[in-house]
Amino acid sequence: MNFTSDRIRSIGWISTLVICGAVTLGLTLRVNAVKSQVHDADKRIVYVQQDIDFLQTEFQTRANQQALSDLNDLEFGYKAPVAAQYIEGERQLAALGLPAGPGAPAPIRYANAEQAGDGSSEGASLLAMVSPVTGATAAAMPQASAKSDSGRDSGRDPERDSLARDAAALGKRLAHIEVAEAVQQ
Amino acid sequence: MNAHAFPLGAIPTTVSTGRRKLVNVRQRSLLVAKLRTLWILAVFALVGLLALGRITYLGFTGVTPSHGELGDMLIPDRGDIVDRNGVPLARDFRVYSLWFNPKAMSEGSALIHTPEQIAASLIRIFPDLDRDELLGKLRSGKPGYLRKSLLPEDANKVHALGEPALEFPLEATRFYPQGSMGAHVLGYVDSYGHGKVGMEQAFNDKLISPEGRTHPSVLSIDFRVQSALEDELARAMQLSQAKGAAGVVLDVDTGEILALASLPGFDPNHVKPNDMVVTPEQAAMGEVPHGFNRVTNQVYELGSAFKPITVASALDAGTITDLSRRWPAQPLHIGKFTIHDTHNYGASLNVLETLIHSSNIVTAQIADELGGVRLKKTMEALGMNERPYVELPARGFPIWPSGTWPRLRTMTVAYGHGIAVTPLHLASAYAALVNGGIWRPATLKKLDASEVPAGRRVFKASTSARIRQLLRMIVEYGTGRKADAPGFRVGGKTGSAEKPGVGGYRHHSLIATFAAAFPMDKPRYVVISMMDEPQGTAATSYQRTAAWNAAPVVARVVPRIGPLLGIMPDETRDIDISDLKPLIPAGSAEE
Repeated sequence: MNFTSDRIRSIGWISTLVICGAVTLGLTLRVNAVKSQVHDADKRIVYVQQDIDFLQTEFQTRANQQALSDLNDLEFGYKAPVAAQYIEGERQLAALGLPAGPGAPAPIRYANAEQAGDGSSEGASLLAMVSPVTGATAAAMPQASAKSDSGRDSGRDPERDSLARDAAALGKRLAHIEVAEAVQQ
Repeated sequence: MNAHAFPLGAIPTTVSTGRRKLVNVRQRSLLVAKLRTLWILAVFALVGLLALGRITYLGFTGVTPSHGELGDMLIPDRGDIVDRNGVPLARDFRVYSLWFNPKAMSEGSALIHTPEQIAASLIRIFPDLDRDELLGKLRSGKPGYLRKSLLPEDANKVHALGEPALEFPLEATRFYPQGSMGAHVLGYVDSYGHGKVGMEQAFNDKLISPEGRTHPSVLSIDFRVQSALEDELARAMQLSQAKGAAGVVLDVDTGEILALASLPGFDPNHVKPNDMVVTPEQAAMGEVPHGFNRVTNQVYELGSAFKPITVASALDAGTITDLSRRWPAQPLHIGKFTIHDTHNYGASLNVLETLIHSSNIVTAQIADELGGVRLKKTMEALGMNERPYVELPARGFPIWPSGTWPRLRTMTVAYGHGIAVTPLHLASAYAALVNGGIWRPATLKKLDASEVPAGRRVFKASTSARIRQLLRMIVEYGTGRKADAPGFRVGGKTGSAEKPGVGGYRHHSLIATFAAAFPMDKPRYVVISMMDEPQGTAATSYQRTAAWNAAPVVARVVPRIGPLLGIMPDETRDIDISDLKPLIPAGSAEE
């Protein structure tokens, strides 16, 4: 009985070892299979990258400056833009506008309602800060911190107004240009 | 089991000896079993420790995929060269070559078909192959190239011929996608893999170092500017039938070279033997090979383009304090030598008129007052007595009069004769003239803001401001009017010098130069254009001087490159010249 149980135990141990060995072997094979797949994928990546390099070089060569310049001479004839084709800032853009001629259709205007919530109240507070010396409107100022900025803002205010006027005038002129073009078409 | 059941003291003495033996055996085998278990435990512990160690190692270092040779396949043998915006100008490129390997088949003849048949099939694929040469190679039985640089589709066609002896190995070659553009800057790589001529030679060690292979070398060149400059120089060269042309665009505040062109050029993809050498007969005729860099290697007497330097030196030294002062403009006799002007500009000229009309006589007098010592010092500060500062291997040494300059030498140097420098020297000097007076070495490497050299002060800032006005007025009213590009506020100076030949100056061989900077209200770039021996043609109104060939190049290049470099044309802006305008009487401007 003793002998048999020992035998069974050692058979059990051996079979456990064999199973472990088999599993290890299987795992190793699997790992190596995945490794070679990864290697294959790497190889393909390298080949694709080489193809990309090849194509990039081909594109660069076909689109080199000499080829583009020859194509331009033959096909398009583009020239470097002259100074008159550049506009720097709104003033130059506005200078292109013409006053409306007699009988010209009225320019299209866009409605622009100022919201009472933020814009106008800020404007009002700015206006309130214009004369800090008299103190007449100082009570209307909600915050003391705004007071410290008042001197600077008062100086900026006419400029703001003139900018707003300019922008409105520009809008008008742009509208005029649009209309004139529409008439021509 | 029984031994465990009784305490040792209870065993009868009659059987004790026999039993004791048995007990000993038992204990020993138990000990052995324990020891074995310990061994196994130790082995397991060791394996476990190793596994744990490996896991910890991987956990700390992360799994680094060891690409090995695969990763190396993506790294070129020689690093790329790119322009300042990262556009590749030179890169490694793997191409197929057609290689004849007579040992491909171990038995029998090297070829399946006859050499004639193979030659005929190959010529069908590559019509430009020479039949006799090809047959000779196939019959010789020696391995060798039949052709280099095959397209993949052609390689497939060769493969379809079914000849094992025709192999097409993939080989790394150096390729320049932009063709001949910037050839003198880039140079080429010879068949041994050594860089030659340009930055390929200058950067050779860097390009093949592990760092240089993985990271491209960045040049200061902007390939769009380079292309525009080469285009316009080639056009002007054709129109004026000049022997050669050169040009450079330089950043005045950093010394970076944005474009450097020398024409005629060569194609670094297919360097021909006669691109790099000329026959002795051609050399005797004064011709240079196409691979010769006229901008950095050839020295020229650049003539009147030196006059603003002389005037700046005099303003700086305080020998000119009053710009309205007039000098006599009659031919000047110094010993046996007489200094002339090309035209008679009246009895006297002021400094402004001198520059506008480019008068040698008055410039010589200004230099005479300034003195040779101070003029020489200025020229030295501008680096005119040494090779130009640039990374290129080919840098010409100026023809520099050393020692004390006698009076006549001082006078001729003042208008650019008796001193010969490269166009790059002139570009660096003009940068110092207009940028507030700081001279910086030119470079072909892209510089970060922190890498810009401090340079050295050559002129006072006030002198530079005055020179900017004068240069702008030369273009607005003087000899440089053909260089004006509306809205770009170009300023500059012409220079037309006769080339020295055997037995004195050759009156019909000129070097015509225009040195310009723009925009003059805040100069950013210097543009130099130079024509070698331009002819008077219908396109140049039968004139040879710089105003008719080199100046129009600037007028055409600046509008092309200005917007690319962030300088927009604006006709409402210009440098303030109102204080100098009264100095030129109305109607006195050049016709």
